Formats: sequence, C-alpha cells, structure tokens
Amino acid sequence: MKKLVTILTAVMLAFALAACTANKDAGSEPKKNEGKSGEKTEKVLNWNNGQEPTSFDPPIGFDAVSWNALNNLMEGLTRLDEKHEPQAAIAEKWDVSKDGKTYTFHIRDNAKWSNGDDVTAGDFVFAWKRLLDPNTASSAAFLAYFIEGGEAYNNGEGSADDVKVKAVDDKTFEVTLVSPQAYFLSVITNPCFFPINEKVAKENPNWFAEADSFVANGPYKLSEWNHDSNFVMVKNDKYWDAKNVKIDKINWAMVDDDNTEYQMYTTGELDSSDVPPELAEKLFKDGKVKVEDQAGLYFYRLNVNKAPFNNVNIRKAFAMAINQKQIVDLVTRNQEKPAYGFVSPGFNDANGKDFRKTSGDLVKTDAAKAKELLKKGMEEEGYTTLPEVTLTYSTSDIHKKMAEAVQQMIKENIGVDVKLAGMESNVFTDEQKALNLQFSRSSFLNDYADPINSLENFVTGSPMNRTGWSNAEFDQLIKDAKLEKDEKKRFDMMYKAEKILFDEMPIIPVHFYNQVYLQSDAVTGIVRHPVGYLELKWADKK
Amino acid sequence: MNTYYIKRLVSMIITLWLIITGTFFLMHSVPGSPFNEERRTNEAVQKNLEAYYNLDKPLMVQYGNYLKQLVQGDLGPSIKKSSQTVNDMLGRGFPVSFELGFYTLLVAIISGIILGVIAALRHNGFIDYLAMSIAVIGISVPNFVMATLLIQQLAVNFPIFPVATWQSPKHMVLPILALATGPMAIIARLTRSSMLEVLTQDYIKTAKAKGLSPVKIVFKHALRNALLPVVTVLGSLAASILTGTFVIEKIFAIPGMGKYFVDSINNRDYPVIMGTTIFYSAILIFMLLLVDLAYGFLDPRIKLGKKEAK
Repeated sequence: MKKLVTILTAVMLAFALAACTANKDAGSEPKKNEGKSGEKTEKVLNWNNGQEPTSFDPPIGFDAVSWNALNNLMEGLTRLDEKHEPQAAIAEKWDVSKDGKTYTFHIRDNAKWSNGDDVTAGDFVFAWKRLLDPNTASSAAFLAYFIEGGEAYNNGEGSADDVKVKAVDDKTFEVTLVSPQAYFLSVITNPCFFPINEKVAKENPNWFAEADSFVANGPYKLSEWNHDSNFVMVKNDKYWDAKNVKIDKINWAMVDDDNTEYQMYTTGELDSSDVPPELAEKLFKDGKVKVEDQAGLYFYRLNVNKAPFNNVNIRKAFAMAINQKQIVDLVTRNQEKPAYGFVSPGFNDANGKDFRKTSGDLVKTDAAKAKELLKKGMEEEGYTTLPEVTLTYSTSDIHKKMAEAVQQMIKENIGVDVKLAGMESNVFTDEQKALNLQFSRSSFLNDYADPINSLENFVTGSPMNRTGWSNAEFDQLIKDAKLEKDEKKRFDMMYKAEKILFDEMPIIPVHFYNQVYLQSDAVTGIVRHPVGYLELKWADKK
Repeated sequence: MNTYYIKRLVSMIITLWLIITGTFFLMHSVPGSPFNEERRTNEAVQKNLEAYYNLDKPLMVQYGNYLKQLVQGDLGPSIKKSSQTVNDMLGRGFPVSFELGFYTLLVAIISGIILGVIAALRHNGFIDYLAMSIAVIGISVPNFVMATLLIQQLAVNFPIFPVATWQSPKHMVLPILALATGPMAIIARLTRSSMLEVLTQDYIKTAKAKGLSPVKIVFKHALRNALLPVVTVLGSLAASILTGTFVIEKIFAIPGMGKYFVDSINNRDYPVIMGTTIFYSAILIFMLLLVDLAYGFLDPRIKLGKKEAK
C-alpha cells in the first residue's frame, strides 16, 4: 500500500508537470502560426459565422448560418448586385417568351466547377428537381412552386418528369413557370436554386458534408472545415469572374457569444461583429455602428376566432394604442424603422416608386381614436367588461421587454389590463400555429424581394396566417396578382390587398428589421442585402 | 470479488436502459417538434420531413427501432444537421470537452487539495482565512462571470492570452482557469473540514509521538483519510466537467459537446438528445464505479467484495 501511495503521488506530480509544460509551450506555438499568416501578399478576411452551418447542401440549410457562407461558395443563374438587383451570373443572358412564362437561360462557356468540370444545364435540371423531390424533404421547396409541375411533384401528386425544367443542350436551360413572375430572376438568386454537379453528387451523395469533397462554382471554394469549430474559404481560380475577386482567403470562426465576438473584434481577431445589446447605446453614440435594412417585420397577431378580437373595432383599438416609435426609440434601441404597414420598404412598383411610401401609413398611434373604437366595439359585442386579454411571447429578453412596453401602452391609452405570458419558443410556435393564442408575438422575414411574398401570408389557410382571418376579396386579389403580367395592374392589386388587411387589422405591425454591425475600416466592398445573404464577392481589405 | 463485478455490470446496464427508456418517452411527450420553425413551413414539406426521419410511425415502433440501432452502436443522424450523425458529433466534441475537463480537474484537484491542507494546518490563522476567502469567491462567482472577467483583463486590457477559440495550448489557459475555480473551491473546503477532523484523531497523535516528520504525518496519515469525502464528490464532478460545459464552451467558442445538451433540447433534435443523455449517463455510471473502487484503495476497511458476501 505504501508503494501504491508513492506511485499515485508520483503520477499526480507527473500530470501536474505535464500540464505546466503544456501551458508553457503555449507561448511559443501561436507565434509560428502568426508568422505563417502574416505574409503581406495574402488578403485574409476574418469572419464569424456564429454557429456550425446547418448544411452546405443547397436545398437543406435553409437559414442564414448556412447560406451566408454558401452564397459565396456557389452561384446560381443570377446574382444580386450592389443595388440588390439580379444580374447575369452563371447565365450569361436569357430570353423570356411572349407570355412571360418561359425563360431560356444561356449558361456561360467559362462557367466551371472548382474540380474543372463545366457547369451544365443538366446540373441545374438535377438540382432543381432534387429541390422539389419529396425525398429531399427541403424546407425551401415551396420557393420552386413557381415552376410548372413543381408543387404537384413536391406534394407527391405529380412526378419529376412533369416538372417543366429542361436542358435544351449542355449550355441552354429552359424553365416554364405557372404564371409570369416579374421577380423570378430575383427568387433564383436564393441558394436553394444553385446548381449541383450531377457527376460528383451521383458518386458521393454526401459531397457537401466535408471540405475535400465540396465542389464550388462561386467566387470562393471550401478548403478546410473543422465541424463546430471553423472553416476556411480560398479564392476559386476556376470561377468565371475570378479577376474581380480580391480576397485570397476567408477564415470563418463559429463564435456564438455576442460579447466574445465583440472582444475578438476589438483585439483584431475578427473583421466584423454584431453589436452586443449592453454596449449598443454607447457604440451607437460613438457612431461606430453601421445600419442596413433587412426586409421583414416584427408584429403581433390577433386571433380573430378568440374574443374580444373577433370584433374589428376592438382589434383596431388595440393597434392604435401601441406606439411603434416609442418601442423603437426606448425599448429595442437598435434604430429600426417603426412599421405602419406590412410590406417592408425597399420594393419599387411599376413607376419606380417605393411600395411602402406609396401605400402610406395604414395604422397610426392615436389614443383618443382608440378609446372611441374600443367603446364602439364593446357596444357591438354587448360587453360591459372586456374579456381577459393575454399577450404571449416566446421567451427571450427582447420579446419580454417589448411585451411589457405594449402592456403599459395599452393600459395608458385605452385602460385595458393585458396579461403577459412567456413560453418556450418551440411550444409557442406549436400553439400559435394551432390558433390557441389570443394575442401573440410574431415575425416575418422575406424569402424573396417582392411585396407579394409578404402579403400572401394572409390568404385563407396559409401556414403563415395563424390568425384565423379570412377575406374573400383579399384572397382573390393575391391570386390575381400572382397571375398578372402587367406590372402596374399587379401593384395596384397589392396596394388594394394591403389596405384590406389593415382595414380588418388581424395584425399589429411594430418595426421593420435591420442589420446592425461593426466592421473594420480596412474592409470594403461587403454587401448585405435586405433580402438575401452576405455577399463577399467584391470584398477587399487594405 | 468476481461476482461483485458481474452484479455491478448488470446493474449498470439496467440503469442505463432505464435512463434510455425514460428519456425517450419523456422527450417525445414534450410539446413541439424538430421541424417547428417560426417561418413559413408547408404541410407537404413537413410531412416529407417526418417521413424521412420515421417520426410518423407509432412511438413504440420508433422506440424499438431506436434500441435496435443503439445495440449496433449507431446513435442515428442529427435532425437539425442532417448530414452529420450523432456518433460524429460526439466523436468530435467529446475529445475537446475531455481535454478541457481533464486539465480543469487537474488544476482544481491539485490547487484545491493544497489550499485545503494549508488552511487546515494553519487553522484559524491568516492563511486559513485567506485560503477560505479564495474558496468562497470561487464558489460564489459563477464561472461565466469569471470567464468574462478573465477575457476582459487578460485578453483585452493586457493581451496576454487570445480572447477565444480552441487552437493552441495558449487558447486553453483562460477557459481552464474560469472553469476550475468553482470545483477548486469545493475541493478546498471539503479537504479542509475533513483534514481538521482527521488531525484530532488518536493515530495522528501517535504518529506525532513517534516523532514522524510533519510532512509524513500530513501526506501519509492524515490526507489519505481526509480525501474520502473529496473522492465522493469527484465522481459526479468529473462526469459533468469532462462532458463539457455549455456556458464556458459558448463564451470561449470551444468546439466541445456542451452545446449539444442545450441546443438539442431547444431544437427537439431527438437523436442528439438521446445521444448526449446516454453518453453522459454512461460516463457518470463509470465514474461512480471508479469512486467505489477508490474507496477500497483509500480505506482498506471498505472491501467491495466482502460487503456482498455478508
């Protein structure tokens, strides 16, 4: 036993020494690394993705953590430019049929995959059919319902052969749409419409899971991917526009903590950072924060099946009791634009005018009018006291603060006591979809850049409706707008539809989203689209 | 002795099976689904996804399938990260968490025991108060506060260490320090109180009377007996530290497995919930076995086999 104790002590000491030496080595190793990356000729961007990308399989990772990176690794037929307009990319040019339904894309001769293969029309046919294949189970599949036969195939009613996408020859790709869609060229900039190298995918169905099997056709290619830790992109020399790509290498970290990210930005380990909420006020004041629009809306849903919100005047009274400007100025303090309509700013109509400006403010903060409407509504329903109202939100700091502000405003402006309830987000979504919530926190981010994407959410039975609201005229306008070829008429329909939505008020808008960030002055040319994903193609670093 | 180990092994397997079954049904009884997103999701797509992961089958069938798969050592694919399997995720995350946890434990045990012994020997003296003040701070300051403080002081104000990420030994210093203070404090306090108790025992007086050197008395006679309560807490402490800590790994962007415990539940990523639970339970059960074995070594009066014989 004595010997054992001695041995144990010795082992512990040895470990302790090992630990110490390991830590001493620490001082020398990074220096070597610094030496390697410190070569002046290479332009290296240090970026943060926050988390491990969900998937680099184009139709699967339907979220910003996947597509911000993927958007720079691959390219579709079109690509959004600095002004957020779709421009020729892998497709050099295209023809549109007279009825506006058939698009024929001519793929660039020098469009190549990073393994040297040609990007062919067949790669697009393969990728788009795969996106719609029910077995792929892509959450983004609904974006391809524009294509004739797409919805039926995805629902399991039709077959892949009936999807109207065709490779006329190796470099000519033809697609037929259900109806003419002016915004089709912008929709297909979405990563789920990226081509897939059919040859590679057939040999290795998991080609997208690791760096060494990943084939890119965009400005950069994937050179390293340590899951849950970091990944590295390098310039793709095979890219058709490689001469305009200035960055040689992008290191992507996965730092999920706001404060850590900010600290790494201050020490120069990252070139950009989000704004930590605790420091937001100071950083805004110092003028360090950059703000960019993001198409999408923070709003509240009113369930028209649940009293008292079955009454339109009571719904309007609640909407008018909320002060959007105060919420933005005093609660979120993130310089969002207060919202008085559903469609985000930034979409131009046939006359080149902004949809939001033309449609105007469809709801206004007005305590006196709100009181009046509440009284009227209560009379109509025969209430002497208003049924209990509960505002439910998915638990998070900011949703809670905003709900508390709303509670206070409603109390002050129309004298109604609203109860608050926080709920775990997954359960919350379940309950909201099942129409079990009376008054609930909501958000919507545009999937493509057209007002119809926002408005179609409220047609009867839409999975995003979640209010029980239904209006035949609204439904008809949306349906007609989707089929309308004439842009002026189409926009008139959408203006009318948005007005109906606010005459009936099943929702209360709060603010449009934005993107706030810090960015090193040495970095230029990075584009953050209001709809779409991070664009690093034109990035440069001093 | 052999029958003891066989019995022990069987009971370990039964415990694990009970945990698996309990977790499986509890997890499915929680409302929500892995495909529940706030954004638009179409019913057809939802159905495709459920069919793809066999979630449309009756629960008992899913349970049977899961056990079958598990016996073959396959923990299934992650639902959220569909191109990865749970085996991959644990295989990648555990070594990192283990590395962090191992050094943390080492620092905590060595410094905790030293602090505790010194405090006990200088009972009610200045050093005792100092050591115990350190211990109280260690217990009461949560590790995420410690982490933020360390980053602010030693990475930003005085850039000695990098802020975060997991690349070189230099990157490991701050997370180890942040994580070690809590367990170190617990160990120091336990060591001190049991040392105080042991030091008043007759055999210590005998040893002193025999004229043994103080170092020998402390390390050979006192400490060995005083370590029993420390070893008791070490089992569960080691299991939780070695399998990763969500907060510290998040703050320092360490690619360990801590985040899987929390994220998988938020995402209702069923295979990952099961995988992490099974893995953690297995480690915990194994650690408790080690603790029991250590008892026998530290105190020969505790004979594992004999207990069973009686």
